[in-house]
Amino acid sequence: MNRGSIAGGLGLLVLWSSPALAWDPFLDEGRSEPPVPEASFDPAPFIAPPPGLYYVTDTYVEDVVTSSGSLTTYTTATVHESTGSYARVLDTVPTGASSAFDGSAFNGRRALGDGRSVAGTYYENFVFADGPFVPISIVFFQDDAELARPQATITPPATATPSRPAPPSTVRPLVVACCADERPVVIAPLPAPTKPVRPVISILPVGIPLTMVEVLRGRAVTLWPRAFADGREVPVRSWTVVAGDAGDALATAGSGGVPFRSSWPRLAPPGGAYEIVFRIEVDTPETGHRTVDGAITVVVRSPALQD
Amino acid sequence: MNWIRDDRGSAMVLTLMLAPLLLVALAGVLQLGALRVAGARVRAAADLATLVAVNDQDDAELARSGALRLSSDAALVAREYFARELALSAPLLNGPADEIAAAADIAAYASAPAYDMRTGARYDRPTVRVAVDVPVRTPVFGALLLRPVTILHVLAVSSPR
Repeated sequence: MNRGSIAGGLGLLVLWSSPALAWDPFLDEGRSEPPVPEASFDPAPFIAPPPGLYYVTDTYVEDVVTSSGSLTTYTTATVHESTGSYARVLDTVPTGASSAFDGSAFNGRRALGDGRSVAGTYYENFVFADGPFVPISIVFFQDDAELARPQATITPPATATPSRPAPPSTVRPLVVACCADERPVVIAPLPAPTKPVRPVISILPVGIPLTMVEVLRGRAVTLWPRAFADGREVPVRSWTVVAGDAGDALATAGSGGVPFRSSWPRLAPPGGAYEIVFRIEVDTPETGHRTVDGAITVVVRSPALQD
Repeated sequence: MNWIRDDRGSAMVLTLMLAPLLLVALAGVLQLGALRVAGARVRAAADLATLVAVNDQDDAELARSGALRLSSDAALVAREYFARELALSAPLLNGPADEIAAAADIAAYASAPAYDMRTGARYDRPTVRVAVDVPVRTPVFGALLLRPVTILHVLAVSSPR
């Protein structure tokens, strides 16, 4: 009788038992497959743009002016990177021609040595905002070149006009190397930088300025240190994290074309947040060489259950 | 009168009388344990579903305002994961997991503060809430003239904190 009861009890236990297995989301993928390489960073999903707009794959970095002998070239430096923004061509202007968009580009439009505006193309940048494509900024991609020539504004020899006052100290005479008999060419000095520079941090390179951002614990986030002068964006030469917990940042310094990328694996103390301070360096004709500090508050959160 | 005083065989009679009662008590205890296991599994399924849904954030809103906001399909994500988790406990359920998940009351509060009309709770963060009645088989209870199907009321709430 005892044996029968024990056997019966064990039999009931066996019949009512069930495997205590949790659902494995990767069960269908197979264990023997090779490891999947880490996915590249995709800041925003691709959305089919309307006709006339295209997805930006090369992002503006800065205007570049290079001189080789008597040849001066005006180009635009870009970085091959998709930032989730879109663009369209506004106007393509030849050398010296005016455009309706002159003065609207955040990087401006340079002038040649003779005063004429450089050739290039105006682009308008857009971001996708839950339906409409919102225009963010206008950028000018310069593409021009010129040969240095003797100009009419020639600095006379000091011995010929001794009574004339000396030129200002900011005037920089240049002697063209190719022509020994040519006279020095005077280049007008740049205006003194007076415009204040305002630092801005955003998640997208042409996004909305943010002073606080919430991120999920361990989730990678991209921050773009940017700068504005007189309401127009100016190119950032470099940035550096000078204060705050940068988390697991890939780098704490970089050029203007490279964003700050990091993730925070730890939560801040209760009620606290991480205050990240960027030192942003700009060097443009409008602003001169300046450094400004921009801060952003990073609040790290984690999904949790509520009682 | 000797047969009255003769207690030979009385132990067997007593055992035969008590054994059914003991077996019934044992079966009831085992059924209660199985019901608790089923309840733990269903609650874990609901918790995981809400956590996964909260982890799905709206990146465009983050770039625009810097604030965490639930993705527009957070409720669908929660329902899908709840069904997947429930399917692992299918032998315990009195119905298909998909149908139980489809009947669940799942609400996603994308912005905060928000008030839950079902529970009256106030949420200060974007929140996903799952409220569901899960029918669980209890055959032993049925054999004991009790309910053969027990309804488990489960409530799971999650938000980023």
